[in-house]
Amino acid sequence: MNRFIRYIQRYKGWFGGAAAICLLVGLYTGLLVSPPDYYQGEVVRIMYVHVPLAHTSLLAYSILFGGSIWFLWKRDPLVDNMCQAASSITALFTGLALVTGSIWAKPTWNTWWTWDPRLVSFAVLLLILAGYMMLRRLVDDPDKQGIYAAVLAIVGGVDLPIIKFSVEWWRTLHQPMSISTRGISISDDLLLPLTFMSLGCWLLFAYMLMVRTQMLYLIELLQAKKGRLLSQTHFSQSAQ
Amino acid sequence: MPFLKTIQWVVWKDLVCELRSRETISSMLFFALIVILVFSFSFSMDQDAARQLIAGIIWVAFAFTGIIGLGKSFSSELQNDCLEALQVSPIPKGAVYLGKVLANFLFILSVEILLFPLFILFFNLDVVAELGLLLLVFFLATLGLSSVGTLFSALTVQIRAREVMLPVLLLPLAVPVMIAAVEATRGILNGDPYSFYSQWIQLLVVFDIIFTVVSFWLFELILDS
Repeated sequence: MNRFIRYIQRYKGWFGGAAAICLLVGLYTGLLVSPPDYYQGEVVRIMYVHVPLAHTSLLAYSILFGGSIWFLWKRDPLVDNMCQAASSITALFTGLALVTGSIWAKPTWNTWWTWDPRLVSFAVLLLILAGYMMLRRLVDDPDKQGIYAAVLAIVGGVDLPIIKFSVEWWRTLHQPMSISTRGISISDDLLLPLTFMSLGCWLLFAYMLMVRTQMLYLIELLQAKKGRLLSQTHFSQSAQ
Repeated sequence: MPFLKTIQWVVWKDLVCELRSRETISSMLFFALIVILVFSFSFSMDQDAARQLIAGIIWVAFAFTGIIGLGKSFSSELQNDCLEALQVSPIPKGAVYLGKVLANFLFILSVEILLFPLFILFFNLDVVAELGLLLLVFFLATLGLSSVGTLFSALTVQIRAREVMLPVLLLPLAVPVMIAAVEATRGILNGDPYSFYSQWIQLLVVFDIIFTVVSFWLFELILDS
C-alpha cells in the first residue's frame, strides 16, 4: 500500500482527537464562559462557528488549488484523490459558512442576504465547487477527470481574488457598505474561544481530508483489483 | 509549422467554415434577437428606466449568445474526428488555442456590433457620443469571455452533458467580466465622465491578460489528454 496512505492510517486518529478536544474547549468557552456582546447580545456567539468555518473554507480551497498544481506537475493519482476529497469538504465548509452567516445576518443586519463582497465571493466559490463536483461525475476516463478538474480548480483559484476585488468595487461604488465589522475590535474574552474553534475547524478539515482521501484511494484500489479479477476470469473462460 | 502561421491557419479555417455554413453567427443572432424581445416584453420601460437597465440587459444577451458561439467552436470539431486531428497534428497547441480565441472573439464581436443598433432601436435610447469607448469595452469584455470560454469549450466538448456544463462552469468564473462590462457600459451610456468608470476598463485589461496567459498554459493539458 502507498506510503502516504499508511501515514494517514497511522496519524489520522490524532488529528480527529485533537479536533474534537479543540472544538469542545472552543464551544465550552464560547457558549458558556465568554460574555455576551454589548451591542449584539447572545447573538454574537454564532461568530465562534461562522468565522472559523469561513477561514477554513478559504484554507481548504488553497489546499485544493495547490494540490491541483501539484497533480498537473507530478501526475500522482493519490494527489488527485486528495483534490477530489478536498473539493467536497471545501463545498461543505463553504456552504455551512454561508448558512451560518445568513443566520447571523438576520438578527444583526435584519436581512438574510445582502450583496456584500464577502457573501458574493463565497456564493461564487460555492458555485465553482459545485461545477467542479459535477465535472468530476461527468468525465468517465479517470486520467482525463483529474486533469480537467485540476484545470478548473486552478482557473477558479486565480479568479477568486479578482471576483472578490471586483465585487468590492462594485458595491462600494454604488453605496457604502451598511454595516462594517472593521470598527469592532476583538477583546481577549472573545479571542480565546475563537482561536480554539479555528484550530478545531482546521484540524477537523485535516481529519476529514485524510479519511476521505484514504477512502477514495481504497475505492480505486478495489476497482482496479476487481477489474483484474474480472479480466482473469474472462480470460480463463475464453481459453476453455 | 511556425507559431504565428498556425494561429493564422486556425482562424482562417474557422472563418471559412463559418462563411460556408453560416451556422454559428446566424444561430447566435437569432437567439440574441429572441433575448431582446423577451426582455422588452418582460419590462415595460420608459426611457429613464431603460437607461438604468440597458447595460445589464445588453450583457446578459451578449453572454448567452457568446456561450452559444463558444460551445459550437469545439463541438464542430467533433465531426469527422477533427478534434483528434488537432491533437495529433505536429503544431504548437498554444497556437491552436490562440487561433480559436481569435476566431471566437471575431464571431462574438461581430454579433455584438450587429446587435447593438437593435438595442438602441428597441429601447429608444439616444445615440451614444462615446462610441469609441463603448467599442473598447465590447472589445475587452469579449476578449475576456472568449479567452476563458475557449478553454472551457475545449474542456466540456470531451465530456457528457457538454451543452449544460459550459455555462455552468463559465458563468461563475466570468463574474468579474460581467460586472466590469456592465458598469463601464452603464457609465458610457449615461454620459458619465471617463474617470467614473476607468477602473472597470483597467479591470477588464487585467482580466484579459491573466486569463489569456493561464488558459494558454492549461489548454495544452486539455487537448493532449
